[in-house]
Amino acid sequence: MSSVLDVVLSSAFLAAVLRVATPYLLAALGGLVAERAGISNIALEGQMLAAACTGALVAGYSHSVALGALSGITVAMLLGLLLAALRLELGADAIIAGIGLNLLASGATAYAVYTLLDDKGGTTGLRSGTLPTVTLPGIESIPVLGDVLSGQNMITWLAFLAAPFVAWLFFRTRFGFHLRAVGEMPDAAASVGIAARRVQYAGLALSGALAGLAGVFLSMGYVSFFVRDMTAGRGFIALAAVFLGGLRPWGVFLAALGFGAAEALAVQLGTLDVPPQLVSTIPYAMTLVALALYAWRRKRRGAGEVAAVSL
Amino acid sequence: MTATLIESEDRREYRTTRRRDLAVDLSMTLATILAALAIGFLVMLATGKDPIAAYEALLTGPMERSFRVGRWLEDATTLTLLGLSVAIPFRARQISLGAESQVYAGALAAAVVAILLPLPPVVAVIVPLVAAAAAGAGMGFVPGAMKARLGANEIVATLMLNAIVVRVYDYLVNGPLRQTGSSAVHSERIHPDSALTPLTDWFGIPLGRSNIGLGLMLLTAVALWLLITRTPLGYRIRMTGSNPDFAEYGGIRVPRAIEWSFVIGGAVAGLAGAHLVLGVYGRLEPGMAGSLAFEGIVVALLARNNPLVVVVAGLFYSYLRAGGDIMEQQTDVGTEIVVVIQAVIVLLVTAQALPDLLKRRLARKQVGAR
Repeated sequence: MSSVLDVVLSSAFLAAVLRVATPYLLAALGGLVAERAGISNIALEGQMLAAACTGALVAGYSHSVALGALSGITVAMLLGLLLAALRLELGADAIIAGIGLNLLASGATAYAVYTLLDDKGGTTGLRSGTLPTVTLPGIESIPVLGDVLSGQNMITWLAFLAAPFVAWLFFRTRFGFHLRAVGEMPDAAASVGIAARRVQYAGLALSGALAGLAGVFLSMGYVSFFVRDMTAGRGFIALAAVFLGGLRPWGVFLAALGFGAAEALAVQLGTLDVPPQLVSTIPYAMTLVALALYAWRRKRRGAGEVAAVSL
Repeated sequence: MTATLIESEDRREYRTTRRRDLAVDLSMTLATILAALAIGFLVMLATGKDPIAAYEALLTGPMERSFRVGRWLEDATTLTLLGLSVAIPFRARQISLGAESQVYAGALAAAVVAILLPLPPVVAVIVPLVAAAAAGAGMGFVPGAMKARLGANEIVATLMLNAIVVRVYDYLVNGPLRQTGSSAVHSERIHPDSALTPLTDWFGIPLGRSNIGLGLMLLTAVALWLLITRTPLGYRIRMTGSNPDFAEYGGIRVPRAIEWSFVIGGAVAGLAGAHLVLGVYGRLEPGMAGSLAFEGIVVALLARNNPLVVVVAGLFYSYLRAGGDIMEQQTDVGTEIVVVIQAVIVLLVTAQALPDLLKRRLARKQVGAR
C-alpha cells in the first residue's frame, strides 16, 4: 500500500495527471457548452478524432505545427456546426446525428490516412512535430509545483484555463446568459428576442473547437503522429464527465480531472502486480456508481419539493 | 347502418394513409442508400481512385463464391441480432448504447457453459443460448433500472458499462479463461455438441462459418415484431416511446415499460454473443464483436426500429461490409470508404424533416385532388 502512496504523492505522477486529464478537460468543457445550448454533442469523439488526424496530416505536409493545429480545430468546429445544422435545419435527433458524425470521422480519417500514406495504422511515417511546451519563468524554483508544472504542453495550460473561461462565459457575459436561456427553453428565449439559432450555432462551434483542441493534443502534444481511432473512447468519457459534473463548469472540471487522475493511476498501478485491465475499469465503475447516487439524490430532492408544494 | 359506413370510410382512409407513408418510407430508404453510394462514388473519384471497379467488387464480390455468401450470412446474423437488440429500447425512445456490454456478457456466459458443462446433445445448445440471453438481459437491466427507477442518464450508464465489460472480458480471455499452452490468445474450444450446426452440412456447398443461427435470428426478428405490434407489452413500449406523459396518463407504468425494453434488448444482444461463440468462432477470441455493436445501432436506425425491416437492413449492411473487404483485396480502395457510406446513410436517415416534408406534400396533394 505504501508503494501506491509513494506513486500518488510523487510530482511525476501529478504531472502525469495534468497531462492525461488535458483531453478530458477540453472535450468535457466542449460537451458542457453544447449541452447547455440544448444540443447534446455526442460527436465529441468524432470531432477529436477528425482534429487529431487533420492536425497531424496538415502539419506533416505543410511542415507547420501551428497551421496543423489550426486546421484540426477548424475541422472539429465545422463538425460542430454540421451537427447544429442537422438538428436545427433538418430536425435530426442530436444523438443519432452525433453517432453518424462519429462514424463519419472514424471512416474518413482511416480512409484519408490509407489513401495518402498507404498505411492502415496511422501517420507514423509522416514527421509532423509537436506543439511547444510552456515553462513560466521562475516557476521551476518552486518545490514540487515547479516539477509538476514545468514542461507541460501549451494545450495543457489552455485546458486548465478553459474551465474559468467557460465559467466566465456562462455567468458573466451576455452570450453565456443567452446560451443558457436558449438551452433551457428555446421558444421562451426566442420570444424575448434572443436569436436562438444563432446562439446555438455559436455554442456548437465553440464546443467543436474545444473538442478539436483536445484532439490536436492527442496527435501533436506528446506524440507527433496520428493513430487510427486514437481517441479510444475519450470523447464518451468526456460526455460522462459532463453529466457527472452536474452541467456546471467547475463540476465538469473536477469530474474530468478525476477521470484523468484515475487513468494515470491505472497506468502507474499497472507496474504493480495487478491486472491492468481490471484497474482501468475503476474510473468507469466509479462513474456508474456516482451517476446512480447523483440521480438518486436528485430524485429524492425532487420528491421532497413535490411534497412541499402539495402541503 | 350509417355509423358503420362512416367507420369503414375512416378505415379506408386510414389504410391509404398508412400505405402511402409506407411507400414513402421505402422509397426514402432506397433514395438514401443511393445518395450515400453516390457520395462514396464522388469521394473515390476525388481521391483519384477508380470508383466503377471498386463498386463492382463491392456489389458483386460477396455473391461470387459460395463461401463468401457464407461469410456474409454469418456476419449478417450477428449484426441483425445486435440491430434488433437496440431497436427495442429505441422504440421506447431510450438511447441504449449498451449492446457492446451485452454481447460480451452473452459471449462469456455461452462460452463458460459450453466449455465447462458437459450436457447431452440438443440441451448442450439450448442451455448456453439461454445463459447468454440471461447474461445479456442482466446487463441490460442495470442501465434500464437506473433510468427507470432513478432517472439516471441511460447514455452515460450504458457507455460506462461497455467500458467496464470490455475490459473485464479482455482480462478473462487473457487470464483465467485463456487456453493453457497456446501461443495465441483465445479460450478453450467449446464442446462439439454445443456448436450451432453449420449451413454447409445442410446445403452441401461450402458456406464458411454460417450456421443455423441465421434461422434463430429470423425467428427472433419475427418474435420481436409480434411482441412490438401484437402484445400489450409491445403497446406499452411503443406508447412510452411516442409520448411518455400521455402513456402515464393512460395508466401505463412507464418505468416498467422502459425497464422491459432494456431487458429484452439485452437478451437479444446476449444471443448475438452466443452466436459468435457457438456458431462463428467456437471459442472466445479477444475483441470478437469488433465494431458490430455500434453498427447494430446504424442498422436499427436505417430500419426505423421495425424488427422485420431490421433484418433487411442487417442483410444489406453486412453485404456492404463483406463487399468492402473484397473491394480492398481487388482494388486499391480501402474498406473504410464503406464506413463513410454508412455514416452518410445515418446522417440522411436522421434528417427527419426530409421524409416528413414529402409526406405532408403528398397528403396535401390528395386533399387538393378530392
